[in-house]
Amino acid sequence: MKKSHVLTVVITLACWLVCIAYLTPFIWMIATSFKPIGEWATPELIPREPTLRNYFEVLVTGGIYGVRGHFPPIGRYLMNSLIVSICISIITCILGAMTAYAILRYRAGGSAFANWILSLRMIPAVAILYPLVVLTRTVGLYNTLGGLILVYPLVTLPITTWFMIGALKSVPKETEEAAMLDGCNEWQVFYKIVLPQASGGLATAAIFAFLFSWAEFLIPLLLAPGEAAMPLTVFAAYFSNQYGILWGPLAAAGVIISVPVIALAIAIQKYLIRGLTMGFVR
Amino acid sequence: MRRGVLPLILPALILLLILTIYPTIYLYYMMFQSFNPLVDFAPRFAGLDNFVTFANDSEAWYAIGIMFLLTAITVPAEVGLGVLLAIIFTSRYLQGKILIRSLMLIPMSIPAVIVGLNWKMIFFTYGPLNAFLQSLGLPPQPWLSAPFGDPFNVIFVLAVLDVWQWTPFVMLAVASGIESVPSDIREAASLDGATGLSLLKHIVLPMAKTVIMVIALLRLIDSLRIFDIIYMLTFGGPGNITTTLPFYIYKVGFTLTAAKANIGYAALLSVILLAMAMVLVIMTLMRLFKVEKIIWG
Repeated sequence: MKKSHVLTVVITLACWLVCIAYLTPFIWMIATSFKPIGEWATPELIPREPTLRNYFEVLVTGGIYGVRGHFPPIGRYLMNSLIVSICISIITCILGAMTAYAILRYRAGGSAFANWILSLRMIPAVAILYPLVVLTRTVGLYNTLGGLILVYPLVTLPITTWFMIGALKSVPKETEEAAMLDGCNEWQVFYKIVLPQASGGLATAAIFAFLFSWAEFLIPLLLAPGEAAMPLTVFAAYFSNQYGILWGPLAAAGVIISVPVIALAIAIQKYLIRGLTMGFVR
Repeated sequence: MRRGVLPLILPALILLLILTIYPTIYLYYMMFQSFNPLVDFAPRFAGLDNFVTFANDSEAWYAIGIMFLLTAITVPAEVGLGVLLAIIFTSRYLQGKILIRSLMLIPMSIPAVIVGLNWKMIFFTYGPLNAFLQSLGLPPQPWLSAPFGDPFNVIFVLAVLDVWQWTPFVMLAVASGIESVPSDIREAASLDGATGLSLLKHIVLPMAKTVIMVIALLRLIDSLRIFDIIYMLTFGGPGNITTTLPFYIYKVGFTLTAAKANIGYAALLSVILLAMAMVLVIMTLMRLFKVEKIIWG
């Protein structure tokens, strides 16, 4: 056998072993979500009698094996998460694109403004959450979806803005200049000329905002602890702290919460690293 | 700046100013007040009391120390492992490169709360990890209370989780860094007789050095925010062993379960945490992350 063949086998095998080792915990959660009650605490990976019952109970009945009321069904929290994440992804991808365009083409605010937005991505949220609780209480948005939609841009807007700066770079300047000569102002140029050309970047930015607001835990934990606005992540935390050993339904909830974001992350994988490193790594 | 630009920038600017200026002013005001909602009716002026409390609060100093210990374990481990993995994952001998990279995205796309939930199952007393140990003839461990006989080891358990979740991020970022080294440079070097490891050591890694530095700093900054997995797995315990500064702020200011529970004191701790984060952020921005060059360059 040639040396290159040996290398191919060795390296491919090593990488796939690493990959499988990496995914084992997640695979375990998926397997557990299909296990019936008697197998939750058994150490086998493959369920002996696979069942969809855990999913049914988490989504619909909210009880273990026909006994209702162990925990509330997940539907309401799923709706909360969806509403907030969709609103946030629409709002912040548009605001992000506007800000990015002003920064990129007109140097609005200079590098200080760009630096400031970037630094917001890095501050520890726990440090400023108490004042934000006070703020949302004052304006009557504590414990509401509106309150979450007001505060989440602190996390998502810096990311979408920085992502859109990169995305808007590829839009050619010439058409913009022509439109300017035709009498459009900056705002008109932006939404008539630039936005349509940047639709791909806009969609990716929206997905980024969705991923981050879906995964957000600390902000809703403190800003929306009541049922009315509680998102899935906070629900999962309460659920697991109270019913720590109902592994089947817990695993099903975990799979339901993570699968949509995994799918979205893989869909934008070409841009994921660029977005997460704020455009530093292309 | 032209007038037409204002409508583009104002909505985001106003929103972000409200969300940052108000908290900043509030924190600076509260830091000189004393207010425990369980005992007091209203905040009262406390002068420098909170500062004195902080200076004498061994729990706070421990929280700061443990936060940096966690950082000191996770960041080098993530960067070291990530670079190592990036090197083998960019090898031209690897088959199925596209698929394997998509799969490696999974850990970091899972919301941290679910990562915590997932590992809670793995670490469960009768869970798979202990079953695996027993099948090897090793004793099972109480992973979240006192693994290997010492509660302090729980810190390392949390570190493993963070490393598990974020090493693939470092790997993928460094891999893009390595792949951005132009192929003609690599070819020229290999014509000069540089092969395999020496090519890597002398050409590729030096060129990817800035990327590695930036990733390390980003992880450093993020590691000061680790909260979700602590909440899910240990809630700062056993005792206060895994109570890092962010979690201590949560206990002092939100759940009011710490001995020194006080909104004013939490505000002071928040300002301290923010100051430490800002030092790191400014270092990143000034030294490595050249905003001017990235945007307009």
